[in-house]
Amino acid sequence: MGEDLLRCDGLRRTFGGRVAVDDVSLHVAAGEIYGLLGPNGAGKTTTIKMICGLLDPDAGSVSVGGRSVERELAVRMLIGYVPQDVALYPDLTARENLGFLGRLYHLRGRELSARVDEALELTDLQSRGGDRVDSFSGGMKRRLNIAAGLLHHPRLLVLDEPTVGVDPQSRHAILERVAEFRRRGMAVLYTTHYMEEAERVCDRVGIIDHGRLIAEGTRRELVDRLGQKDRIELSAEGDLDALAAACRSVAGVEAASVSDGAVQIVVGDGRRLLPEVIEAAEHAGVPVRSVDVVEPDLEAVFLHLTGTALRE
Amino acid sequence: MTVLAIAQASLRRLARDRTALFFLIVLPVVVIVIVGATVRGFSTWKVGVVDLGAGSAGRTLVTALEDTPGIAVSPYPNAKALTKAIARGELNTGVVLPEGMAAAEQAGRTVSVGVVVERANTSMQAAATAVGAVVQAEGARVQAAQFATRQAGGTFTANLSLAKDLEGHLARVEVRTVQAQANASILPEGFSYSAPTELVLFVFLSAIAGGAAIIETRRLGLYERIHAAPVRAGGIIVGEAITYLAIALGQSLLIVAVGALAFGVSWGDPVAAALLLVIWSLVGAGAGMLAGTLFKTPEQAGAIGPVTGIGFGMLGGCMWPLAIVSPVMRDIGHATPHAWAVDAWTALLARGGTVVTILPDLAVLAAFAAGFLVLATLRLRRVLA
Ligand SMILES: Nc1ncnc2c1ncn2[C@@H]1O[C@H](COP(=O)(O)OP(=O)(O)O)[C@@H](O)[C@H]1O
Ligand SMILES: [Mg+2]
Repeated sequence: MGEDLLRCDGLRRTFGGRVAVDDVSLHVAAGEIYGLLGPNGAGKTTTIKMICGLLDPDAGSVSVGGRSVERELAVRMLIGYVPQDVALYPDLTARENLGFLGRLYHLRGRELSARVDEALELTDLQSRGGDRVDSFSGGMKRRLNIAAGLLHHPRLLVLDEPTVGVDPQSRHAILERVAEFRRRGMAVLYTTHYMEEAERVCDRVGIIDHGRLIAEGTRRELVDRLGQKDRIELSAEGDLDALAAACRSVAGVEAASVSDGAVQIVVGDGRRLLPEVIEAAEHAGVPVRSVDVVEPDLEAVFLHLTGTALRE
Repeated sequence: MTVLAIAQASLRRLARDRTALFFLIVLPVVVIVIVGATVRGFSTWKVGVVDLGAGSAGRTLVTALEDTPGIAVSPYPNAKALTKAIARGELNTGVVLPEGMAAAEQAGRTVSVGVVVERANTSMQAAATAVGAVVQAEGARVQAAQFATRQAGGTFTANLSLAKDLEGHLARVEVRTVQAQANASILPEGFSYSAPTELVLFVFLSAIAGGAAIIETRRLGLYERIHAAPVRAGGIIVGEAITYLAIALGQSLLIVAVGALAFGVSWGDPVAAALLLVIWSLVGAGAGMLAGTLFKTPEQAGAIGPVTGIGFGMLGGCMWPLAIVSPVMRDIGHATPHAWAVDAWTALLARGGTVVTILPDLAVLAAFAAGFLVLATLRLRRVLA
């Protein structure tokens, strides 16, 4: 992997006394996809806005290509920012939107229209360039939102939850494209609260919770930190909190919490502990409907690190 | 370049917005036509006169009124009958000549002549101003005793009792006087009255209603996206200022062109008129941008904007001449930039003024423009930060 294109050191930001981002340091190399994984309100967007120069950090620094984002306006030429919410003029066509945004990056004339074509093609929208954005589906708007971040050939692409509210097909297309950008040597910073996405496309993942980066590494590294920990998922009807508490009392259970109508339990060895867990459940008087033993993944890492499930 | 890109995108969006175009282009033209036609439509203004014992001075005044083209005078026995006739629409306006007018004039005292009009009626206002002008030319001071016949809801009896009240008031009202400046303090009637005042009204009104665009751009997250590009906050602000100025100037030119070509409005000294147009457009641009930072939602701007614009227009003399309101209201009116703009147009169109004549008005308007623009810039900077 290439040298670090993005470096953040000790980023911190508060809003009216409430800490949104606290001491976040991370780096992303050219040709690398870095996933910032965390639940809603963890501080992902705030971090990204500081990286893109949209928000001044209270402390810490950001450099892209070795140059300070805060001090040099021109550094923004290196960054492609794709905001979390689609930011396009609904009453202009796709081409007009891209043409407008391209001009902000000093593109013009033939070069501009070539870049617009290219960005539309990259996001499979070439046939819809002349249509107004308000006629687009949600997935198409998201893709165009991404296209707008690619016009000026940024070296660092920053995508803030690009797949939220997108149909599975568009989601697949977006993830494919992101992998393609990596092959082209772009550094990609990708935030998501979808664990599967982070596992699927990201080379490295940083887990952020309550504004703090609590773990960082490749999927393998993160999972290994758990030891050989497994996850047991109990679906049940009744008082799930009581069930979780009962499970916690079982020796060998490291954490148990309620999410998605099920109890998630982190254990050293799932199969060995399963009978005891079921028994504890019966004692608690909560009938178990189904049981699932899952190999360690990022969800388990998050659960292990925070004691709560990623999906709320 | 980026600044122009921002302005271009905003203007392109405006060009697609049918509602905005209606308010920018169609409505002002329609209103100019209607108001212009209504005010000009009174080839003869019917004026009722009540003589409470004014003597020879009163007779001179009545003769002067009768000699004025477009004014037909008919006598009424008392103020009650007069106000009743006005309420019924039989008269455009009425004049009350006070007792002892001749004696007071001979003694060198100020004489107050009551001019009765219905406040809600524009054509009556115009008639009253015309009558006021004649009265002033005769050297007397005018009190425009106004009462509003409620257009909706008010019964005739209620209006009559209003009229009775008025009878008692006529003798006492001392405030409502018109400066003795003869007809120089009002704009000519017809389209020459409606076009300049509608220009002042609509350019400002459209601009603050257009503040919605800034709110929408902000809500769409476009400012943030623009800011992620190498564009400073100042660039965004200048881009928006160009947009609002272009809209205001475009609308001004439209009204000037329609007024001059279709209705033969003379816009006075070209240099002075151009300066006034540009400065007024700057006032509008500043107010529009400020509105864009003060309102929270586009709907708010769409609702409060026009009300504010029309309110300022009323206070500032766009609906009726400030010459016919009380000095207090005239002073209050001059808290709006509209009054200064209408004053300047009056100087240009009614008195053949030049840049030098309207320089004080222009200075005040420039100060308004600067104030609005500075405030808007400060607030936009906060929004963009
Ligand atoms: N402009 C703001 N004003 C006040 N609080 C904010 C603002 N932006 C974010 N926050 C708060 O900061 C925390 C992190 O928010 P955010 O970075 O948007 O999280 P995420 O993107 O991970 O969902 C949240 O508690 C949020 O309420
Ligand atoms: Mg977010």
